[in-house]
Amino acid sequence: MGKLDVKMNKAADKLTVQMAGTIDEDVDFSQFGLGGNPQIEVELSGLKSINSCGIREWIKWMGTAGPAQISFSNCPKVIVDQINMVDGFLPATGKVASFFVPYYNDDSGSEKNVLFRYGTEFSEGGVNPPASVKDEEGNEMEMDVIESKYFKFLKK
Amino acid sequence: MKGHNELVKKRGLSIRYKILLLLTSLPLITLTVYLILALRIFEEDKIAYVFDSSSRMSGTMAAQIKTQLNGVLGTTKPIFQDYLSQQKFSSVGESIFQNEFNLEALVVFKPSATGSYEKSAILEKVPDQTAGVLAQLQSQMPSYFAEVEASRRVVKVPFSDDRVFILEKVSDETNTRNTVFLVIVKMSEASEMFRAAMSQKLYLISTDGTILFGPDGTPGQKLQGTVSPQFLAHANKQIAQGAETDQGADGKELLVSYSRAGFGDLIVVTTVEKEKALGAVQILIRKSLIFFGLLISVTVILSLFASSGLTQALTQLFDATKKVAEGDFNIRVDVKSNDEVGSLADNFNIMAAEVSRLLDQTAEKARMESELQTAKTVQETLFPETQAKIGPLAIAGYYEPASECGGDWWHYCQIGNKIFLWIGDATGHGAPAALITSAAKSASTIIERLNITPAKALELLNRSIYDVSKGRIMMTFFLASFDLETGELAYCNASHEAPFLMKKGEGALKKKDLIPLNEVNNPRLGQARDSVYEQTTIQVETGDLVFFYTDGIPDIQDPAKAAWGEREFIKALIAANKDFPGVNESVERFAHSFQVHRQGAPLIDDVTFFVVKNEGLS
Repeated sequence: MGKLDVKMNKAADKLTVQMAGTIDEDVDFSQFGLGGNPQIEVELSGLKSINSCGIREWIKWMGTAGPAQISFSNCPKVIVDQINMVDGFLPATGKVASFFVPYYNDDSGSEKNVLFRYGTEFSEGGVNPPASVKDEEGNEMEMDVIESKYFKFLKK
Repeated sequence: MKGHNELVKKRGLSIRYKILLLLTSLPLITLTVYLILALRIFEEDKIAYVFDSSSRMSGTMAAQIKTQLNGVLGTTKPIFQDYLSQQKFSSVGESIFQNEFNLEALVVFKPSATGSYEKSAILEKVPDQTAGVLAQLQSQMPSYFAEVEASRRVVKVPFSDDRVFILEKVSDETNTRNTVFLVIVKMSEASEMFRAAMSQKLYLISTDGTILFGPDGTPGQKLQGTVSPQFLAHANKQIAQGAETDQGADGKELLVSYSRAGFGDLIVVTTVEKEKALGAVQILIRKSLIFFGLLISVTVILSLFASSGLTQALTQLFDATKKVAEGDFNIRVDVKSNDEVGSLADNFNIMAAEVSRLLDQTAEKARMESELQTAKTVQETLFPETQAKIGPLAIAGYYEPASECGGDWWHYCQIGNKIFLWIGDATGHGAPAALITSAAKSASTIIERLNITPAKALELLNRSIYDVSKGRIMMTFFLASFDLETGELAYCNASHEAPFLMKKGEGALKKKDLIPLNEVNNPRLGQARDSVYEQTTIQVETGDLVFFYTDGIPDIQDPAKAAWGEREFIKALIAANKDFPGVNESVERFAHSFQVHRQGAPLIDDVTFFVVKNEGLS
């Protein structure tokens, strides 16, 4: 098994892609063709990291999807960071359906990833974060990101 | 050469000779042990055989002597009876005597008034011959009579010839009157048998060891003159037959067998020289030694033949190892055998080839390292002074590549009344990325002279990078220009980590005061040749800081490979700039923070950052 695990499941006009692991210079996306699918849903919760060489391969791979509507769900922070930073990382036809926002409590050291879903916690142009996020001990948690940077992609 | 000499010194006895020694000594030792054991058994068996045969011969001879002498007495006893009944020899007695060819004489002795025996009658074949014989025995006769008194019967061979003298004492009913008959009988055949024995010597002796019959020259002498048998010393035991090993008078060991005749005190003795008896053993030893010699010769020839193939291959290997010790790793051995030596030769060839390859590889690696070192030296010239003050703008930076050459690059320059601030990160790191940074630096040198906006500058830089890398290596980049007069910062981002503007406020710096310069974003340099870049502006007031960096910073790992992370990065950034210090202080504080986490662990990506501060014109 390589560093990246990709599972593809095609049903009707929709291709579901589930990814887990690391995307780096060793990844070979050529075996996972995206072409010919009007709708693609990419599930990314298992993705751990991506480096600069992996970004190059990712953009090339996304280019093979053509005009397909691509929906990205459960995007971890590493993906959101790349979406914000790298122009073209999110394809022109791509939309983020849901993504994780890290929260933490500096006193207890507790951490939590809160899923922001389209239409609930965010929509085009802005976020509507939960009024309160608490850890298992009831401590109030705050966002572990710089909001103006992390939610930047929503303003495009 | 030292190693070569040591190799030679360790060579002792050749394996060929060791094999030879082993293959010859093994059968030699085995056969020698076998021969010793076989000879011992053979010798014991031979002695037993000799004892058995000589005992049988002595027994047979004793029985024969006894039979012959009893036959003589059987013949003469009627004559004795005839004489005793008439006190003279009758015609019947004389007739019997004359008819017995072997009888020479029969003499009757009677005790006189003084008690000594005196001749009283005689029968003889040759008249008056016996008187002369008795005259010759005059001195011995008293002892003969004494013996016959004691033991009733005495046998003597006084003249060392074939004549046997038998003295028989006969007593009357009251046992008061004794008569001694002397029978002189010729036993030529018996005497001849004792004289003619060849392989072993036969003796007929009396208890005192006197030889009656025996080989020429021995009759009349004592057997003790030849050998002193133990059984003679224990004559009282009256053991009928036996065998023993005795030392001869001449020092030779003799195998002695004896049998008592059962007639008088006669004993038949046979002696055989042990050396002669065991002559077959000597023959066996001689033949065995010849066989040994032949066997060893064949073994040596076969060993030489068998070992030559082995030692030839080993010699080849030895010579080859000497060559290797001298530094010649291109040597190969040509051994055709399919055994362990063949495998050893094959492995040697593989090892020599591998060592040769590794040496080449090491040399190549050293050459590449040297080239990398040169590239590092060259690349260091691409970076500016780490500290600068241009007008109101103070600049301080930090750069550390993950390997000899890095893919990060930062730079600053003044063009007119603007300070251009450059920072970029090529895909990956190491030499390929370093080449791209070199291209970026070269292009920037030209672009600087054009006095154009950051967006236009990145468009040109993008073309340059694309033409160099053909889309294989890209570069994230952030270019800003600071207007020395207005404090306006125009910037263009090519998918690089957005720098943080830290606006100086009333209090200490807080997380919310960090403003990412991410209002515009564009494709990475080198992604497409004709990409168009946009830029925007922001005001940098006096006291404000801007932190430019590459993505290697949050990835810094400690020795346990735990990444520093964005949270700690932001915390360290805020802590380092909480009081809006000078740029040198800011850089020093921030670098110290990640070095504490890193604890000397190697970098996994290049680390570059620089801080600029609008210190205003005082």
